[in-house]
Parts: sequence; C-alpha cells; structure tokens
Amino acid sequence: MEVFITGMGCVTPIGNNKHENLTSLTESKSGLKKPAIFQSKYASDFIFGEVDMDNTALLSLVDINGLTGLTRTDLLALMAFDEAINDAGLSREEVSSNKTAFISASTVGGMCLTNQLYDDSNLKSNTTEFLESYSGSAHAQQICKKYRIKGLVNVINTACSSSANAIAYGTRLIKAGRATRAVVGGVDSLSKYTVNGFNSLQILSNDKCTPFDENRKGLNLGEAAGYLVLEAANVVAKKNCYAKVAGYGNSNDAFHPSSMSDHAKGITIAINKALEAANISSADIDYINAHGTGTQNNDLIELTGFKTIFETIPPFSSTKSYIGHTLGAAGAVEAIYSVFSLIEGDFYPNLNFNTPIGDLNVLPITEVVHKKNVRYVMSNSYGFSGNCTSLIFEKA
Amino acid sequence: MFIKDILSISPQDTYNNHNYWYNVKTYIGNKLSCIEPSYDGIIKPSQLRRMGKALRMGIGCGLPLLDKHGKVDGIIIGTSEGGLEDCIKFLNQIVDYDEGTLTPTNFMQSTPNALSGHLALITGNTNYNITHVNKGLSFENALIDAQMLLQDGSANVLLVGSVEEISDYNYNIEQSANQYKKVECRSNELIHSNTEGTVCGEGAVMFVLSSQPENGSICIKDVDAITFPEESELLDLCKNMLRRNGIVTNDIDGVIVGLNGDIRTDHWYTNFISSLFSDQTIYTYKNLVGEYPTSASFAVKLAHDILKNNMICPEIIFKNSNRAQKNILIYNHFKGVQHSLILISDINSSNESL
Amino acid sequence: MNKEILKQELKAHLVSYLNILEYKPEEIADDMPLFGTGLELDSIDSLELIVMLEREYGLKITNPADGRKILVNIESMADFIIANKK
Repeated sequence: MEVFITGMGCVTPIGNNKHENLTSLTESKSGLKKPAIFQSKYASDFIFGEVDMDNTALLSLVDINGLTGLTRTDLLALMAFDEAINDAGLSREEVSSNKTAFISASTVGGMCLTNQLYDDSNLKSNTTEFLESYSGSAHAQQICKKYRIKGLVNVINTACSSSANAIAYGTRLIKAGRATRAVVGGVDSLSKYTVNGFNSLQILSNDKCTPFDENRKGLNLGEAAGYLVLEAANVVAKKNCYAKVAGYGNSNDAFHPSSMSDHAKGITIAINKALEAANISSADIDYINAHGTGTQNNDLIELTGFKTIFETIPPFSSTKSYIGHTLGAAGAVEAIYSVFSLIEGDFYPNLNFNTPIGDLNVLPITEVVHKKNVRYVMSNSYGFSGNCTSLIFEKA
Repeated sequence: MFIKDILSISPQDTYNNHNYWYNVKTYIGNKLSCIEPSYDGIIKPSQLRRMGKALRMGIGCGLPLLDKHGKVDGIIIGTSEGGLEDCIKFLNQIVDYDEGTLTPTNFMQSTPNALSGHLALITGNTNYNITHVNKGLSFENALIDAQMLLQDGSANVLLVGSVEEISDYNYNIEQSANQYKKVECRSNELIHSNTEGTVCGEGAVMFVLSSQPENGSICIKDVDAITFPEESELLDLCKNMLRRNGIVTNDIDGVIVGLNGDIRTDHWYTNFISSLFSDQTIYTYKNLVGEYPTSASFAVKLAHDILKNNMICPEIIFKNSNRAQKNILIYNHFKGVQHSLILISDINSSNESL
Repeated sequence: MNKEILKQELKAHLVSYLNILEYKPEEIADDMPLFGTGLELDSIDSLELIVMLEREYGLKITNPADGRKILVNIESMADFIIANKK
C-alpha cells in the first residue's frame, strides 16, 4: 500500500503557515535572532528561532473551543494541525474516523511553563489550570479533545528525531492496515528547560548557527510545529498529492548519550535502511535535507556518514540555518521543507556557510539550486541517546 | 506475537520471586513503591551512579533479558514520563540557581528515551530503537509497534517494555489534581474503597517478544485503543477486536480490568463487564501495583502468569467463575480518557496456530 | 586555607556531586587520576565538576582547555582553588 502526503501545515520562525515558510525559504530569509517573546536569563546571550507571535496573538488565531490549560506548545500544535487537515481537505468526520490515526511528537511538551511547573511540582502554586498540561503528550490530548479523534493516537519521544519517527510510525500503521489516514508530525516551543539543558552541555551558539562550517559554534534552539496528512492510496482518489513516503530507516548509534560515533554507525545504518525500504540506490537521491545542527560533533559525523554511503554526495543543506533546531518538531518541519524541494524543484541553500570542515572538503549548497524532475529527497534526524532516523520522500 | 520471557520490578516481589503471588504485599497509604533488587553484577557502578530510579529499574529488567536472549531486532519502550526525578532535580536547579551554571547529568537522564538509548548503548545494539510516550497508551503503542514489525517480517525478536517511577514531581502535581485518595487506604481494600481518588504506583516490565511460538508460549493476539470515547464506542472497539480475531465474547474466559478504587471512573469497568462479560472470571491488579500510566504492562505479565504458570491468587479475583482460562482480555483506562484493550491467549489450550 | 582540610572537603564533594559508588571520600588518593585511569571519569563528569567548583568555591572555568589542566587529580584541584580563591 503506497502512502501519500496530501496535506501539510506548519508554524515556524520563518512563517505562520505553509505558504509563508515556502516564501522565506525561496528568498533565503532566516528567522534566527535575539528573541522578543521568550523569557530567560540567556535570551540576550544566544540566538534563537522564535515564532513571531506571543501567546495572545496565537490565542486570537486558534479556535480553542473550550479547551483549558493550553500552553504555547499546545497552541503551536493546534495551529499547524488545523492547517494540515484543511490543506488535505479532510472533513471533521474523516478526522474523527476510527481509521484516522494521529501520531505526534514532542520533547518539551508543557515544560515551556518552567516556572509554573516548578510551583506546581513543589506545591507552591495557587492555580490548578495547568496540572494536566506538562507531559510530552498533553498537546496531543488537547487535539484529540478538540477534533474528537477516535483512531489510534500516539506520541513519540526519541529526542531530536521524534517527529521523523512519528512520520514513519504513521506510514507503517497505514501499510499494516491499522489506519487509512494518519496526521503525523510534532511540536516544541522554546523553554528554559531546554535552553538550560543544552547550555549545560555547552553546545549553544551566541551567533547564528553555521551548519557544516569549520568554525561552527553550536546550535540555535528554535520552536515550531509541523503536521502532515498521510493517506492510503485507496482513499486518496483524485486528490492533489504532494509526495509519497517512500522509505524510512531507524537505528541507534549505540555509542554515547549525547554524541555520535566517529564512524557514523547509526547514521549510515538508518540511511541504508531507508534506501532499502524505498528500493532505490544512494545515487537516486537528488537532495538531502541534512540534520546539520551546527555542533562540532553532529556535523562532522553526519558528513562522515555521507562519505561512507554516497559515491558522489548529492546537493545537501541544513534548513536549521533558517529556523534553528526545533527538537521534537524538526523532523516534521524538515519533512515539509523536503516536500517543497520535491514539488518546486528548488534546493534551499545552507545559510551562513564559509569554510569547509577540515580536510573533508564536503560543501553544502550555498545558492538556490534548481533541478528539473526531482524524484527523491532524503531528510535526516538524529537525537540524544543515539536515535537516528532517515526518511525518503518521492515525487507523487 | 509470543511472549518468550519477562522480567519485572514492581511493588510486589516480582524480580526475585517467581511465585510472588503466594506472598502478596499490602501497602498502607497513597504510594506503592517498587521492591528494587540489588543491581550488583547487573549494572556497572560507573553507570549506576548516574541513573535515576526509572532508568535503573528499566535497565535492571532489560539487560539480563538481552544478555540471555542475544541480539534482538529492536528495543521498544513505552513510558509516559521517563526519569521524572531527574527532571524535577534539573527544573529545581534552573529556578533555585536562577539559570546559573547547571549540571548536565539530570538533563540527559530526564529525557524519556534515555532507557531505550542506554539499553542499546550497553549492549551495542544498533537496530530499531524507539520510545512511545502517549501517557496511558504508551505501552499499548509499544505493543502495536512490535506487532507491526513482527508481522511484516522486519523483526523476529524484540525487547518491549515499560517503565514509570513515582517522583515528587508527578505525585505533587497529581495530588493537586485530586488524583489520589484523601483518606488513608490499605491496598487490599483499594478496589472496594468506594471513595474518590486512587493510589500511586510504579514499575518496570520488560518482555522478549517473538514472531514464533515456543512450547507453552503465550500469545499477545491484538491491541487496540481509543481516546475520549463514549461508552458505546468502547463496546464497539471491543466487539470489533474480537470479530477480527475470529472469536465472540463467550470465547473470553477472563477479563483483567484496571479498577483502581476511584468511584469517579470505576464505572467504566463495571459497565464494561456487565455489558459484555457477565460470566467470566474478572481480575484486578492495581491493588497489587497501584495506578500509573503504563500499568497495563503489569496486567500483561499477570495474564501470562495466569495462563502459563497457573497463578492462583485470591487477591486478584474480583469475581470468580469456573471457566478454564485460555483467552484473557485486558481492559484498562487512564483517568477515563485513554482506554485500551489487549487480547492474550494460551495457544496450547486451543489448536489454532497464530 | 588549610590544604589538607580543603582536599578532604573536595573528596566529599566529588563523591556527592558525581554520586560515586565504588569509593568513599577517604579512599580517594590525592594523586589518583580523575580521568583515563583512576576514577575513570568522563566528559559529562568534567562538566559536573566545573559546576561544583562554581557552586562550592565561586570559581568559574570558562575555557574547557583550562579545565583539562585543573581537573587532573584532587591535588591539582586544591592548588587551583588556593591560587584563585580570594
């Protein structure tokens, strides 16, 4: 059973919807800057990818329909989810059919309310509004409630590869006949929790991140939500299909909790599994939307993996140079960007790149590359605890 | 899929004592904490020193199984929250030190995928690796994931499990949300306590699941779930599940229900039983291990012990029948929101091949 | 500052911050290597020790290369504290 992408929605630092994101990518417009909304001691020290709307603005755009205890994570998710199902033209009945699955992902969840959570968990609070809001799965429950979702619901947390695995899981549910449709994706918002966590590992950059550059200083944390509607070939009918989910590969690097193995074991296994599932060879890949966080370890090892797999490395770039590392949303948003590349035939340049790493002599694309007949695009996502996932999208 | 092996750490003495049901432990109050083993010889001290309770319980169950059964084709974990104690320690540091220089260990260990990652890292397993975190359906999704992999041939043997820990973090939050009892309750009186709230539990259960049956294998035949259902939708879910497995309600011999003593939500179970399963043996398990999001994993262990090891334990009998036990259905819900059904069969007592 | 007392204190902090299970504070020798051999600590531990020096002694190590010179053994840590503590 082939699985098609029929709808997409996203809210990111470079746009509040799919269309705005495409425009920003086409114009090479970055959303990385000092944050205007996010509150933290580090807000002025580091560069972030912030969605350009505060919670009041988000609330004015989202029909919350009686939901309570909403966090910024929930609001971002609700916005992107709504856009995705409308984009696919799904009726409310189709969304709440027991054959429609909903597979989400998040790492921060409601912990964006760091201080409220501190008060609640230490019995210092005078409100009960957010007691059900903190889990990584809380946003999914809000969406279930609003859209009366009756099919299988899941939330995945494999750190920064979470929503790539949500896409793979939704695809597998359809292939296995457990669902005919699946809304898949992920969300994360900026939080003190992650900023302090990544800072304690000394991998945040005080400049705009420079993926794959010799002088890279670390990553920029970002926030986003992205959802895609997947439909089985037999229910797509004459709908407009953006792409097919052709392959997915999952592996664990089994090396270190927070860094990748020198030989890029997990990365190469995940890519090879995805190629195998798509039944294509590495030479068929037209473009790679790389993980490319901008940390010393990730970028070097990802390129090591590329050199192992590809005889000639296809054009690649990291779109984290536009929006930062959006953690649990990264896999889904980058999947949407990969689909843009398939549809438009445009590969979006890696911003802020100057110097290739050491003697590897491997360069990301730094100008828009236009190619006719793009057929296969690969998207990579890697997370703490060794979780590696590669996805392959095929022109529909 | 077939259960090849199980190891669990729970508020009962399940880790060391394979006949734990002869000596069911009673708890007084709202916390049923695990009886943890010594991890000497299982986890290296240099690794153990950094592990919170959830992580060490998960590793303590998972590692011996991985050592015993060799390389598995995947490691699949369901956990609602992972290492919550580390989470709150890190959170408290952020606020108490006003975002000063913080230690990374708590942050690293608090991520829910730390367990699946550590199991892979310690055993050098580069195969499929994932963590499902949908609260009260985390473990059920781990099972569905496993079932898909075993059925489509991409795996033959998998390590599948769950873990949850009691921490101040979730206890305080849930207590503020009136999840737990306000009056002291003994665990052996929990099911009939007739008051609001339940008691808090925790535990780790790890399974080795295989696509191939062995002698006396217990089969997990199906898993399904629904969120925010109407009662009729839940009954339909059950009937559909039985139908697609070629059985009717009368083929079910026992039902393990998640009764947790909370009068606000226990009606789901009693209505379910009276609607569909009035002649079956009805079992409970939260009087042994308390309520937590991935407690259904303990119910699966219980079903296995009833079917395979002829577990006889008056504490778990809610309503008896004289039926021989070969098909057991587990029905559990979390807070009346997330509902799941798991169908388990003893394939030796029927001639079907599954 | 009495160096001997400082070293005893450092050993106690080391065991408590890193939750060392194999050694009691008094079993750690002044010249026992922290990394590589001896206590066999790793890169995450070095970040933990940098936090310990800041919280307990108000000393900041910002350059990781300095960290490698300071975090050799108990003796070298004590020397660093005595030389820099006001």
